[in-house]
Amino acid sequence: MQDIIEQLEKKRAAARLGGGQKRIDAQHAKGKLTARERIEVLLDEGTFEEWDMFVEHRCTDFGMQDNKIPGDGVVTGYGMINGRLVFVFSQDFTVYGGALSETHAEKICKIMDQAMKVGAPVIGLNDSGGARIQEGVASLGGYADVFQRNVMASGVVPQISMIMGPSAGGAVYSPALTDFIFMVKDTSYMFVTGPEVVKTVTHEEVTAEELGGALTHTTKSGVADMAFENDVEALLMLRRLYNYLPLNNREKAPVRASGDPSSRLDMSLDTLVPENPNKAYDMKELIVKTVDDGDFFELQPDYAKNILIGFARMEGQTVGIVANQPLVLAGCLDIKSSIKAARFVRFCDAFNIPVITFVDVPGFMPGTSQEFGGIIKHGAKLLYAYAECTVPKITVITRKAYGGAYDVMASKHLRGDVNFAWPNAEIAVMGAKGAVEIIFREDKGDPEKLAAKEAEYKARFANPFVAGARGFIDDVIQPHETRKRICRSLVMLKDKKIENPWRKHGNIPL
Amino acid sequence: MFTKILIANRGEIACRVIATAQKMGIQTVAVYSEADKEARHVMLADEAVLIGPAASRESYLVADKIIAAAKATGAQAIHPGYGFLSENAEFSKRCEDEGIAFIGPRHFSIAAMGDKIESKKLAGAAGVNCIPGVNDAIETAEKAVEIAKGIGYPVMIKASAGGGGKGLRVAFNDKEAFEGFTSCRNEARNSFGDDRVFIEKFVEEPRHIEIQVLGDSHGNVIYLNERECSIQRRHQKVIEEAPSPFISDATRKAMGEQAVQLAKAVKYQSAGTVEFVVGKDQSFYFLEMNTRLQVEHPVTEAITGLDLVEQMIRVAAGEKLTLTQADVKRDGWAIECRINAEDPFRNFLPSTGRLVRFQTPKQTMFQANTADLLGVRVDTGVQDGGEIPMFYDSMIAKLIVHGKDRNDAIAKMREALNGFVIRGISSNIPFQAALLAHPRFVSGDFNTGFIAEQYSKGFRAEDVPHDDHDFLAALAAFVRRKSRQRAANLSGQLPGYDVKVGQDYAVVELGQGGNNRYVSVHVDEFTGKPGVAQITVDGKTYAIESNSRLNDIRIEGICNGRPFTAQVERGTLKNPLALQVQHNGTRIEALVMSPRMAQLHKLMPYKAPPDLSRFVLSPMPGLLVEVSVQPGQKVQAGERVAVIEAMKMENVLFAAQDGVVKQVVAAKGESLTVDQMIVEFE
Repeated sequence: MQDIIEQLEKKRAAARLGGGQKRIDAQHAKGKLTARERIEVLLDEGTFEEWDMFVEHRCTDFGMQDNKIPGDGVVTGYGMINGRLVFVFSQDFTVYGGALSETHAEKICKIMDQAMKVGAPVIGLNDSGGARIQEGVASLGGYADVFQRNVMASGVVPQISMIMGPSAGGAVYSPALTDFIFMVKDTSYMFVTGPEVVKTVTHEEVTAEELGGALTHTTKSGVADMAFENDVEALLMLRRLYNYLPLNNREKAPVRASGDPSSRLDMSLDTLVPENPNKAYDMKELIVKTVDDGDFFELQPDYAKNILIGFARMEGQTVGIVANQPLVLAGCLDIKSSIKAARFVRFCDAFNIPVITFVDVPGFMPGTSQEFGGIIKHGAKLLYAYAECTVPKITVITRKAYGGAYDVMASKHLRGDVNFAWPNAEIAVMGAKGAVEIIFREDKGDPEKLAAKEAEYKARFANPFVAGARGFIDDVIQPHETRKRICRSLVMLKDKKIENPWRKHGNIPL
Repeated sequence: MFTKILIANRGEIACRVIATAQKMGIQTVAVYSEADKEARHVMLADEAVLIGPAASRESYLVADKIIAAAKATGAQAIHPGYGFLSENAEFSKRCEDEGIAFIGPRHFSIAAMGDKIESKKLAGAAGVNCIPGVNDAIETAEKAVEIAKGIGYPVMIKASAGGGGKGLRVAFNDKEAFEGFTSCRNEARNSFGDDRVFIEKFVEEPRHIEIQVLGDSHGNVIYLNERECSIQRRHQKVIEEAPSPFISDATRKAMGEQAVQLAKAVKYQSAGTVEFVVGKDQSFYFLEMNTRLQVEHPVTEAITGLDLVEQMIRVAAGEKLTLTQADVKRDGWAIECRINAEDPFRNFLPSTGRLVRFQTPKQTMFQANTADLLGVRVDTGVQDGGEIPMFYDSMIAKLIVHGKDRNDAIAKMREALNGFVIRGISSNIPFQAALLAHPRFVSGDFNTGFIAEQYSKGFRAEDVPHDDHDFLAALAAFVRRKSRQRAANLSGQLPGYDVKVGQDYAVVELGQGGNNRYVSVHVDEFTGKPGVAQITVDGKTYAIESNSRLNDIRIEGICNGRPFTAQVERGTLKNPLALQVQHNGTRIEALVMSPRMAQLHKLMPYKAPPDLSRFVLSPMPGLLVEVSVQPGQKVQAGERVAVIEAMKMENVLFAAQDGVVKQVVAAKGESLTVDQMIVEFE
């Protein structure tokens, strides 16, 4: 017995040391934490339960049979984030460069299966050079086993990926299938084919950072949701995000009471929207002044900035926020912003998180690049997402709601539960000027008459009352009471239940 | 008495005048430009008249429009405030001719004091001390020495065409006067092509001290003591106080009496100010007379208990002064800080835009009852959610305190500045806080050169000393602990795993260039008493009690039995995890984490901010009025690249280094935000 205990301790010590002190020092020198240190930051102190510490690979080629490290390059198990259960895997770059072997993949699959059984989220901390080449197809099979589980878990438990080192080739597709991807600046990159291959095939010269660094994916490709300065800050922010999410699709998101009264008024919002309809303002100010304690966890803040998405709380309850941002492209909907918001709305719908939509949208972005890029299909994604969505939907139109974009942005017609408008809202097919130029085409040469008609059109349609008369708007509210009115609506909608007709799955325009 | 008056001004002074009119039961009419549609003075007035476009020369400076507005609304009198038309003799005359009372001096008084040279002659004739000197060009060095001796050393020898210190010599004896004259004359000839040289008395360690006078239309004039306005930046007053910490009772009396003589000589009615320069030997000399209400009039109101605007209105209505010189009080000590929309860390460039947050300290005096004193007063022209337009002056508010004595007033002002929340634009509050903490300001030992000497390289964050820096770390831990307690309320925690709020923290103060300071902090909570904690930093204990909420920027409470006010924000632009703590002008950014996390955080590399030297960025929000370069153009360091205009200030941007212009990103006429790119170099 004593022998066994001694052996156990030895194995544990070996596993804890991973690839050895030299490699740990090298990891630190790169500004990265080790796999275990990362888990330490992510989870509540002392809550990590590790599984499969003794797993070793089964490869016998290329001398691998003599090179075995317990744990096989990934640390797996479960623990708590602010007292709530989560399953974690953390790839260990100090062990074979974190390369994925058959057994490494099995460890990941094991905790994913367990997470599905108990209904808890999975967080993956990715730091891997790729497939374990010595293993060949066994390693590829391992990837696919993980992919299949990612897809099965999608919409059942939240899945979050944190890219903290390389992630190339097949390795990118597991994170790609998860709900959120975060990256660490300067030390992480993701790409399907690396700079070497790119150079051979297309003769493009590009660095790994340019091709797939955190900035690329959070500003250009939109693959990643956020980029952080370093490992510690990234993981601490991930803890914050976790507080907003339910454990699974049968649960409601956790509630966190705050001292912020639901009846709090903010008079400064009455002057948020400038008098000049062509002048921009920062929609984020409205969000921050409306939600509990001003805490808004914005996602994809640097991508498709013409729309804002993120989590917040109202009276302690998690809500998803979608808002047009007039500061960027006048808040127009385009391909990128439609996709960004659509995926977020679907996440909220899948996990019972009410959606609050702030609307100031002059329409869809015109132009050949948009049409050639398929704005019809991509814009339809957002339309589909809102229409399909059955969680409580509250909409506030702060200024413009023009044309098809009005319909898309959680309008009454797409089963919006509560639709408010601010007093200066303009709900119309288009702006007065454009409308008059079409209706009174024959008066093109008479600017005076057109101006008069424009004023007439404005008086008739550029207000919330036409929509109000038809019941498309439930009420016109003062900007300063926005928080109060949304909180009340959420209380009313607490037990909302509607179901879409049974089907295998809908066919969202992908 | 009038039943309705018009205020021909905007901003804080318009609001100030409206407040007194309302107290007196007089209806008010505001005028406003298109940029001021939603301004505070428009909201406060009973009526408001639009008088034209944003530019003041097309609105606030157009006498015709003001007169028309008064006629249209039936206002019987016009208060001009300060600036704009307030010292325009023609306007005063015009009002008189149109049968509208001008709440200010008669046109001839304004005209008499309006000319710099004429006013000095008048002052001299009225028996007011003027700087001794010779205003005729001096021919020879011998003659210069003779004149210098006659004036008495030290003297200032200056070139007629000189300016800004150029062509200027100070002489303390005959030898220096002789040499100074010769070299000054040579320099003048070479530099300006004009060799005329004058000599006048040199005032050592000059202070700017002014006397408030008040006259009526019946020939009575009294003086309401002095104001010390020596704290100036580039001839703009920054802090004013009353009384002066420097002058003796005898000097005060002599200055006051001379000021009254001058006012009487020009048949002055209404409120006016006679400005003097005062030397270190208490000698004083006339500078000029301001024939209007001064920005800094509230400090006089605080120590005298008078409402100067009320006095002006009564005088304009023909009433006699009800008080004599013997009735004028001088109680306690008052200080005023001008709150400007400018960025002290960017060389005081103006800042414009939306006031995302504007929370003034609590006003505790001079509200409904203007005799209510010994407290804090805020005169402001803006409100929460308001807009600072780029067309007008950068002063947006005045903070006035009145204390038992000078130290009491300084303490009150520091506390009030701590509680003044301005977000969305930059303000000079950190600079004001630094001045209030400066030992030489506290001791009253300063002159008009104070700011230029003490902040010769501009104002930097390091320039603010904090007598108890660890208090900032303690506050950061206090707030972090509060959010941990909030996290403990999270639902769904599993049995045995409930959130531990924790007692030991590390405060990581984020320093320049990755020089972080790690401070261990221990927090003891008194159970059952929310908002109370005892925090130990480096052996020092801070018992902090505060009920401020997590989304309050302003934190008020008690620390070790003494009240405090500070500002804390969770999350900064750069780092959502960081806390920003501000107190007494010092600002820190800090991460608060468990000791183990801080240990791991130490392993994290410092990342230098990206090199922006290839770009010319807008240093302030404003209008791009000129782009002087084109793509492909070779530019040398120091060459003019672009011009930005905001708040009546033109700001020329120069190339920092030689280079070739790659592209011009912003277009002429565009409104720019801070740090917006204008030009990129290759």
